[in-house]
Amino acid sequence: MARFLVLRLGLIVLTLFVISLAIFAVTEVLPGDVATQILGQGATPENVATLRERLGLNDPWPVRYLGWVGGAIRGDLGESLVQRLPITEMVGPRLFNSMILASFTFFVAIPIAVAVGIWAGVHRNSFGDRVASMTSLAAISLPEFVTGVVLIIIFSTTLGWLPSSSLVEPGTNPLTRPQILVLPALTLTGVMFAYVMRMARANVIEVLETNYVRSAVLKGIPMRSVIWRHVVPNAMLPTISVISLNVGWLLGGLIVVENVFSYPGLGRLLLTSIQTRDMPLLQSLSLLIAAVYAISNLLADLTYTWLNPRIRFA
Amino acid sequence: MTTINLNGAAPSVDESHVEETGHAPLLEVRDLSVTFHTPRGSVRAVRHASFTVHRGEVLGLVGESGCGKSTVAFATMRYLPTTAEVGGEIRFEGRDLNSMSSAELQSIRGDRIAMVYQDPGSALNPSIRVGLQIEEVLHAHRSMSRQEAQERVAELFESVGLPNPARIGQRYPHELSGGQQQRVVIAMALACEPDLLLMDEPTTGLDVTTEATILDLISELKDRVNAGIIFVSHNLGVIARVADRVAVMYAGQVIEEAPVRDLFSNPSHPYTAGLLSCVPAPVTGDGAVPLLRNIPGSVYPASAPNVDACLFADRCPIVQDICREQAPPEIVGASEGHPARCFFPERVNASIWGDPEPRRRRRREVGGTPLLSVDALHQYYGTDRKKFIFFGPPARRPVRANVDVDFEIGAGRTLGIVGESGSGKSTAARSIAGLERRTSGEVLLEGEPLARDVADRTDDQRAKIRMVFQNPAASLNPQLPIGHALVRSIRQARGLGRREARRNARALLDAVGLGGEYMERRPRELSGGQQQRVALAAAFAADPDLVIADEAVSALDVSVQAQVLNLITARQQREGTAFMFITHDLGVVRYISDDILVMYGGYVVETGPAETVLAPPWSPYTEALLSAAPIPDPDAEPSRIRLEGAVPTLRQPFKGCPFADRCPRNLGDLCDNTPPPMRVDPANEHHKILCHIPLEELAIEQRKAIETREKLVRR
Amino acid sequence: MATATIDQNQPSPLSEAARTGRRFLRSIRRELRYAMATTSGRIGLPLVTFYILLALVGPWLAPYSPTEFHLADRFAGPSTTYFLGTDEFGRDIFSRVLSGATSIIGVSVAGTVLGLLLGTLVGLTMGYVGGKVDEIVMRLMDGLMSFPSLLLALLVLTTLGSSHINIVITIGVVFMPSVARVLRSATLSIKTMEFVQSARIRGEPALYIVFREILPNTMPVLTVEASVRLSYAILLASSLGFLGLGVQPPSSDWGLMISEGRSHIADSPLIVLSPAFAVSTLVIGVNLLAEGLREARELPKED
Repeated sequence: MARFLVLRLGLIVLTLFVISLAIFAVTEVLPGDVATQILGQGATPENVATLRERLGLNDPWPVRYLGWVGGAIRGDLGESLVQRLPITEMVGPRLFNSMILASFTFFVAIPIAVAVGIWAGVHRNSFGDRVASMTSLAAISLPEFVTGVVLIIIFSTTLGWLPSSSLVEPGTNPLTRPQILVLPALTLTGVMFAYVMRMARANVIEVLETNYVRSAVLKGIPMRSVIWRHVVPNAMLPTISVISLNVGWLLGGLIVVENVFSYPGLGRLLLTSIQTRDMPLLQSLSLLIAAVYAISNLLADLTYTWLNPRIRFA
Repeated sequence: MTTINLNGAAPSVDESHVEETGHAPLLEVRDLSVTFHTPRGSVRAVRHASFTVHRGEVLGLVGESGCGKSTVAFATMRYLPTTAEVGGEIRFEGRDLNSMSSAELQSIRGDRIAMVYQDPGSALNPSIRVGLQIEEVLHAHRSMSRQEAQERVAELFESVGLPNPARIGQRYPHELSGGQQQRVVIAMALACEPDLLLMDEPTTGLDVTTEATILDLISELKDRVNAGIIFVSHNLGVIARVADRVAVMYAGQVIEEAPVRDLFSNPSHPYTAGLLSCVPAPVTGDGAVPLLRNIPGSVYPASAPNVDACLFADRCPIVQDICREQAPPEIVGASEGHPARCFFPERVNASIWGDPEPRRRRRREVGGTPLLSVDALHQYYGTDRKKFIFFGPPARRPVRANVDVDFEIGAGRTLGIVGESGSGKSTAARSIAGLERRTSGEVLLEGEPLARDVADRTDDQRAKIRMVFQNPAASLNPQLPIGHALVRSIRQARGLGRREARRNARALLDAVGLGGEYMERRPRELSGGQQQRVALAAAFAADPDLVIADEAVSALDVSVQAQVLNLITARQQREGTAFMFITHDLGVVRYISDDILVMYGGYVVETGPAETVLAPPWSPYTEALLSAAPIPDPDAEPSRIRLEGAVPTLRQPFKGCPFADRCPRNLGDLCDNTPPPMRVDPANEHHKILCHIPLEELAIEQRKAIETREKLVRR
Repeated sequence: MATATIDQNQPSPLSEAARTGRRFLRSIRRELRYAMATTSGRIGLPLVTFYILLALVGPWLAPYSPTEFHLADRFAGPSTTYFLGTDEFGRDIFSRVLSGATSIIGVSVAGTVLGLLLGTLVGLTMGYVGGKVDEIVMRLMDGLMSFPSLLLALLVLTTLGSSHINIVITIGVVFMPSVARVLRSATLSIKTMEFVQSARIRGEPALYIVFREILPNTMPVLTVEASVRLSYAILLASSLGFLGLGVQPPSSDWGLMISEGRSHIADSPLIVLSPAFAVSTLVIGVNLLAEGLREARELPKED
């Protein structure tokens, strides 16, 4: 187990290293001079040169890369070019806001989705199952921005129950105004919910057809026990690994949803950094999101290993 | 696409039975039919099955694949997909199972009727400790405290012969060997002392030596528990060993039912007689082997409708007009208690399938270069995988699949290689074929060394060695017409033009009895036996000197197996092709081999001309293997040599003899710690045995064992 | 002598390529036919066909140019003149949706095909070759996959700049690793099958084995993967459009139309709802088709 953990952690470090290199390379080949962009087209060459010097843009790339990564490891992500603020400070509250949104989906929606999936799988081909299957197929087919906009039209423009944008005053906690969280959370949930439900259902159906479930039924134990002791535990293993694979999808959804509702999270900040060509900010955010992704994958893997006796004792 | 009928809600059933009267047998099946309705038409898995089972007896249900025998077992459990339509009645102690509510069924399943399955590995839940899986049964049907249940489980484990019964329940299924898993499943079935026990191919897929111990357990159980047992199997040898009465199934019908001795000595249905004559028989005294007969044609398909005729008519050697005009009545008894679904049971005997021609084994030629010689072949796996993926020490100990394997194959001869799974026999075949790169050792073809990888060999060398595999369905590319592989092979090996090659390919198909029109068919349109014949034709296409057949008949039904074996012997007689025939089936190896090689744990433990290997002195492993093989003769007294434990994993190098820890003749320290010598039989210099015990001593001991057994039989 | 006969009968590479192409189309057609045996396939395939036809002929069906301003008719409601009304500049929404179909379907299909090509090539070769090279390449693919695809796409597009061809490349790159994974595992299991071993023993060259023996047997997996990928591609491309990194104005893009129309939801919801409906039904169609293809694999096959 310890060896496994060390190996996995090592792999994460390796992955993040490769990703950081990739991010750095991608953003460095970007056409256009950052200093010129900051100062505007009318800047004098001297001013540009001074700024380049101050930003360290004249150093060779390995030096700049090491400076960036070294800083990132110490928790110093540098300074935003546009807003001139330390990136760590800018990211902190945004990360918190995004986490609120994501954790709702993760801890509320996914368990419900799994439950619905199990129910649908056990009652395969029943009316309820057909409804659940069709709805979920529609739900995974709707892009987040469509769901979001449709929800706005229904609950905000038409019914006027909820606000259409989810702006948060800087320095305040979105949890103090929970009504602004409802629509973004619902939107983000839609696709994940449907996807997880479908996976849980498919896995339950697969397990139901195994020989050991047949043995369980023919042992004469009540159906309830067959489902809860034999089917569900074995169906959960593959479902968990699918969920972990889809954390990336959740993060992508976050980017879109935050922009639909102007919610001040990492995704919104990321798009702003792209629009304003704020390279240090873009680099740091990308690395951060990749790190979050890698860590959540590790957690999912650990859960999987812990639940699976075959790996645990191998 | 089918849904399993979990809650057991009744599938459509004919409600025409009358209330039962008087003394009822334990199980009475009348006119049972099971039809699966699929989007692509109806499949009649069971057309007409009637039989009874009494307490304390074992009814063997035997037939080839697709005859409906397993469906009968599951219908008795009322466990069928919702697409199944069930007709007829299944009366358990007089009550019709088909009309029971799901609650009644639940209380009967596992308590009064229990089942043992094929493939125990998949029948146990991988994530629950095996002890708990049995406790579940007890909790469902008996009110018992946790403590009592655990004690009962330990008791059950003890009674099925599992080691360390008090603790083994803590294990997960994957921590047990196949034989132990099956013992757990049997213990699970016995938990509530059921009245009826259904065993569906319980030893299929297990190694011969494991199968023998499980069969011992079952024969012992049948005396101990007062239950009726239905034992489903395709293997006549296994049936002969455990059954009291036998019902033979063909195309969804029970076509004959008889006490086991009656059935084997006096079959009353042509199909039964045919089946019996397809099984390779023991060798006669002078070493001549009777040629196998086979049943022509193929089984009446389950997708075909019920007709008013005998379903076996098209394949029957004694068919008359009446057989095609009306269905034979259910009971035309040859004698009391021996019904057969045939108009002419009295005409049935072994010779209706032709008289067996003896086939002589080829004598070994003296001198000359052997066709193939293998010298000190080693094959280790997993040496390249490192602890940290690319560097560091090896991640695991290598699997030593072949250690120091030596043998020769003479031109035109057949070498049979036997051994259980994990003995390294298939690995040796793949190394020689060049599919695996051997770790070390020499392989010489007509004295010329062969490259490790088949891709590095010359065209000429490749043309001389061809291979046929176990799984006929996977032997042909499902996306390509059948002629493709043949044409490619002919052109590759003989450099013929496309048209010429096609003509040749047609001739080859003709030679395996399929005809040129098969050229354009897809593999899935063919039956397993036909597919395997095409695979053989493809192997013959290059005019090879050596064909390696890796378990080539193991997946086939006996009647089809005989066809394929006969094709091989015919080819050998005509073209002088040599064969390397790998199998776990001793009957087959006995039938086909000129020389035999026995492998265990990656080592060659015995080798020599067939008649010397089949007679004492044997290596202790060969002796155990021979005594474990089920013989299709109810009067054969099973010999008592049984192996404990499981086949070694091959990761740990052996300190002494590879067979030491399971060997019934283990001498102790010497065998455990010193590698044994390869001893040469003074009677025949080609006969060699890997053993510490001097061969004279072995021979004396083993002869003595045979004599005691024969005395037992006579008494 | 033998060599001469072979050469004589060896078909030209051109006709061989044509035959491979025909076989490929035939096997796609077969998979689609199987899918039509399922309910999902029977709804999905016609829906997808409809949209693909729309993408091909849409621009000719449009009553107006998608970029033409009708400033007098801004925010017009649905009428016989403007089927679905007009937007803030008086552009005809119906025409814009039609022309949007061409761009999004074109981009998604091309991106999917590129991703499939790259992924298939990588997956097949790595699966067949195995060993260290396979290990290294697949680790790289894992690295690429361990990056949320939308983020990767955003990064690539920010670097390359937004254009049709760049979006296609982006989708291709983003999809390559997962297609490679699927194809590799399919190849690994087919590689061990006996007919491949027989081909090796016959002495067939590796290229022949990979493309003639293995590739056709991955078709069921490949078609399912293709349809799943297509639906992701449409979602990805339209999301990029919504975020302003898709097709650049003034040409019409469903995602962008929704993004721009958001500020006028109250006045004219059709500006947003029309492209939203279009993209949703399109993806539903593709997903149904994928479902049908998947279900069809479980049905017994008959020729």
